[in-house]
Amino acid sequence: MAFLELKHISKSFALSKGTLQVLNDISFDVGEGEFVAIVGPSGCGKSTLLRIINGIVPMTSGQVLYRGRQVDGINLECALVFQSFALLPWLSVKANVELGLEAQGLPLAEREKRASVYIDKVGLDGFEEAYPRELSGGMKQRVGLARALVVEPKVLMMDEPFSALDALTAITLREELLDIWQSPDMPVKNIILVTHIIEEAIELADRIIVMATGPGRVVKDIKVELPRPRDRRTEAFNTLTDQVFSLIEERG
Amino acid sequence: MPRFEINTRRLINGSLSFIALAAIMALFFAYRSHALHLIPHKVPVSTAQLPYYAFCSFYRMLAAYIIALIFSIIYGMAAGRSRHYERILIPAIDIAQSVPVVGFFPAAVYFFVALAHGSRLGVEMAAVFLIFTSQAWNMALGVYEAIKTIPEDSRVALDTFGARGWLKFKRLLLPASVPKLVYNSILSWVAGWYFLIACEIITVGPASYRLPGLGSFLWEAAEKGRSFDIAAGLLTLLAIIVLMDMVVWQPLSTWAEKFKYEFAASSGAVQSLGMFDALSGVGPAVTRALRSILLPPLRMIGRALDALPSGPQLTPEQSKRLGAIVRTLILSTIVIFTTWALARGFVALIRTLSQPWPADAKQIPEAIVLSTIRMTIAYAISLAWTVPCALAASENPRFNRILSPVAEIVGSMPATALFPLIVIFVIEITGGMNLASILLILTGMQWYLLFNLLAGINQVPEDLKEAARAFGLSRVARWRKLILPAVTPSLITGSITAWGGGWNALIVSEYFVYKNHTYQVLGIGALLDAATYGKSNNGVMILLSLLSMIAVVLLLNRLMWRPLYNLATERYRLDY
Repeated sequence: MAFLELKHISKSFALSKGTLQVLNDISFDVGEGEFVAIVGPSGCGKSTLLRIINGIVPMTSGQVLYRGRQVDGINLECALVFQSFALLPWLSVKANVELGLEAQGLPLAEREKRASVYIDKVGLDGFEEAYPRELSGGMKQRVGLARALVVEPKVLMMDEPFSALDALTAITLREELLDIWQSPDMPVKNIILVTHIIEEAIELADRIIVMATGPGRVVKDIKVELPRPRDRRTEAFNTLTDQVFSLIEERG
Repeated sequence: MPRFEINTRRLINGSLSFIALAAIMALFFAYRSHALHLIPHKVPVSTAQLPYYAFCSFYRMLAAYIIALIFSIIYGMAAGRSRHYERILIPAIDIAQSVPVVGFFPAAVYFFVALAHGSRLGVEMAAVFLIFTSQAWNMALGVYEAIKTIPEDSRVALDTFGARGWLKFKRLLLPASVPKLVYNSILSWVAGWYFLIACEIITVGPASYRLPGLGSFLWEAAEKGRSFDIAAGLLTLLAIIVLMDMVVWQPLSTWAEKFKYEFAASSGAVQSLGMFDALSGVGPAVTRALRSILLPPLRMIGRALDALPSGPQLTPEQSKRLGAIVRTLILSTIVIFTTWALARGFVALIRTLSQPWPADAKQIPEAIVLSTIRMTIAYAISLAWTVPCALAASENPRFNRILSPVAEIVGSMPATALFPLIVIFVIEITGGMNLASILLILTGMQWYLLFNLLAGINQVPEDLKEAARAFGLSRVARWRKLILPAVTPSLITGSITAWGGGWNALIVSEYFVYKNHTYQVLGIGALLDAATYGKSNNGVMILLSLLSMIAVVLLLNRLMWRPLYNLATERYRLDY
């Protein structure tokens, strides 16, 4: 039994004239502790797929099995990190991070203790009382990451998490994400990353699901066997990049 | 391509809602049979009592505002969160807004006095109810818009954590509504003052009862020709409004910035325009003092609330079921009550209209035409001075910086407070009632136009203005190609609000009793007032004139303003 099983997932939206099919018959498994990247051109429905796995968006047909069970509604063992950060502007860094704990009904003292642990982990020590608008993009995404990690989810869902950041900040955050993922005291073992940046997927993930558009479907499931840390300047890295790139380009 | 079209389904919906509205009106009027047994109450004018009258007016405003605030949050949230409610609640606002609130006052008085068993409290309740209806709708729309424009991601972020109910309200829905609530509260207070003073000026029924307050104080002082009291009354009103602005609205507006979604520091943002910059030191000082007194206990309460576990831990199914039960209960109560009111109202409507119609009824069409002509003249005068002012403000930032705060303070003075003055001035000097009437309507119209135009001017992006200059467009070309098109949506919005204000002003401007002499012109407002306050006190006539007035307002909105607005926003919206 796989950790997460996607079975024949399809999704279509009703339009005024007919329906628009966004996803067509998507099936793959995710093993325990796997870091999976979903890569594809814009409009291939990869973000929608992520939200279906999380249970935020209902699917038209198909099944998502989490540890062999079908989850109705939102899977609270997943935590989502957004491209837009999705922080609440009226809450301080600390209060933003505590949001998930508050929803769990934890007492204030416990919330504060756990929030401060994760704020330290993402390197925002000293910014607890700052407001999102006072932070740079990279720092905002650190808050987003801390907010997701603090509920100690089993799966970290990341929707284009580094796409709104400048290239240099993105590089640093990718490295830190890997450090967090590999550190032994971190409960999160599974990551599903949605991205359109091919190099990002190859650098981070154990496996890459390549999607094509019109309607969104899986065209290739690639295992990345390169040893970590992965160097973008090696030939193996470049060969893989070219391979994924041509897969997307062919069907685009 | 936007089309200028009339939708038949909309017309049917409109007629149906008009009939429903007529039934509700008739229901209120059905209480006319309970004669008013109010002791005639003349407001004794003495300057010493001014603080008491000011207090009376203020607490009426405050009571109405608190009810409007709670109502608008519930209403706006319901409409913003459920498509089903949205389909009923939003058009209902549209209909409710087209009722000239002032014309409804007598009906409200009868209803509430009957409710309060003939006590004077009923008149107070009617006034509060009336102010409430002038405040609630735009606030409810504000909450609705705020809820609708919450970024999808924020909503999803809370959903993924399973945040529901109170937590979602406290952390997402309410904070997201704060900026629109504060902005609309300011507008609502301006509107509220206008109607409050109108309520206090109006004498109720044959008993000629007047609510004690600043409005009645001013009117009595004017009738007795005591200019010192007039000045004192107006100054008191001005002082209250300016103080409210400095101590409450300015700090609240600044605080509300915190709840806005724009993260980027916007350059040249439209800053809140402070009244009386010279006094600006006083406001913050008072605010600081108030904060230091009020905040610590509030904060402690907040901490205590935060520390509480968020209610009994229900499973999603349990809370869903509980929510469904509560919702069904509330909904069925509302449905039963509305059905009852509509049924009774319909009976009352038919009963009233089947009485013999008075001879005056034949005058209604002519009266409507005359009133509309007066409104059009007042509108033309408003346009004639506000558009050049706005254009000048767009050319000259310094003029804009002076004009905006001055207009804000003058515009937030309720024009109704100036009615006694205008009446004396025009009647004593020219004796021309038509001129007085047009002037009074003007006071209810012009500020809405000016404010909307200035807001429109301030929203024209600097980039576009620079581009126009850089390409060497002449001043006239710049106005024609950039400024006027860009402010067209604001102009239409302003016109709609101005006409709304005008209809209300119309009711108090075509007929009044001054020094025991009745001054009136032929118009729909005068017919309504004469039927209400005159000797005839004819129920059929009140209902007929009010309903025909509402019908005209609705028709104008549907057939002219709404299509114009859609056209303007589609073609001239600035979202490139």
